Amino acid sequence: MKNYFVLAAAAMLFSFSATAQKYFTKTGKISFDATTSSSPEKIEGVNKTSTCVLDTKSGAIQFAVLMKGFLFERALMEEHFNENYVESNKFPKAEFKGAISNNDAVNYSKDGTYAVTVKGKLTMHGVTKDVETPGKLVVQGGKIQATATFNALLADYSVSIPGLVADKVAKTAKIGVDCSLELLK
Amino acid sequence: MKRKKIIIWTVLILLLAGAAGGYYAYSEYNRKHKDTADLKPDFTASATSLLEEYQKDEKSANTRYLGKVLKVDGLVKELIKDDKGLYTIVLGDTASMSSVRLSMDSIHNEQAAGLVKGSAAVVKGICTGYNADEMLGSDLMLNRAVLDKK
Repeated sequence: MKNYFVLAAAAMLFSFSATAQKYFTKTGKISFDATTSSSPEKIEGVNKTSTCVLDTKSGAIQFAVLMKGFLFERALMEEHFNENYVESNKFPKAEFKGAISNNDAVNYSKDGTYAVTVKGKLTMHGVTKDVETPGKLVVQGGKIQATATFNALLADYSVSIPGLVADKVAKTAKIGVDCSLELLK
Repeated sequence: MKRKKIIIWTVLILLLAGAAGGYYAYSEYNRKHKDTADLKPDFTASATSLLEEYQKDEKSANTRYLGKVLKVDGLVKELIKDDKGLYTIVLGDTASMSSVRLSMDSIHNEQAAGLVKGSAAVVKGICTGYNADEMLGSDLMLNRAVLDKK
């Protein structure tokens, strides 16, 4: 009797997860750009191992990024980013949890480009802040390409820039998101 | 006369120190990332044992492994090629949702091309952390990975 119950519960769970349409990636690209007009060169890092999950039914979307996974061209820049700015040993992960505000406007079963607004909470360097940004979803052939760019004021996340380089590093970082999502089976 | 000599020497020493400092700053600024192939592993472990350690206590495992060079052996679960042609090697137990994911270093990327699903591999990389996820399976991530030939 007990076994039947477990089986039934498992079956229910299974059918539930099958109807909830989730798309995901583990190789999402998130870029960090703190270049300013007075920077001597590009201050830019890219993370190509970000995780993203989108629930097309509810519009819930979340990202997880390992800070040490940001690759910079210069070794010194990468070290400074990790050690002095985001302190990735203390705060190894950044997360975003939110939702697409206009999820009803997206027809996930029809190929096309949809403008969306994403609203949620970004946690970075141990600080959580509200973020709202326009983004774009391109539905094509059963895949969803999700892109967005937004600004994060570094001071909001208690990331301080040493006085010596204060005018060479932008106070606001441009965060770029580019994820190709596949159906979660 | 003596005074003049002291001044000349001081100026010379200062110039030398300045040049040395400048050279150091310049080379430090232009320093390239070390090739993982030339790095000695800080730890050598199997993919499954690393994942076990992380599942038990992520924090203490991070203190041990974060930013370190790990030499990981395991079975190739999957070989992923992204739109730019860069490989990610996924090591671990096929029965488990959890894996060790190693993104290849771009200069050694082609090494991964010959890997076969289900075969054993030894890969060296730098640990960037752990991403616990119940739905997608938890992963330990390493980047700048190279195949270990030994």
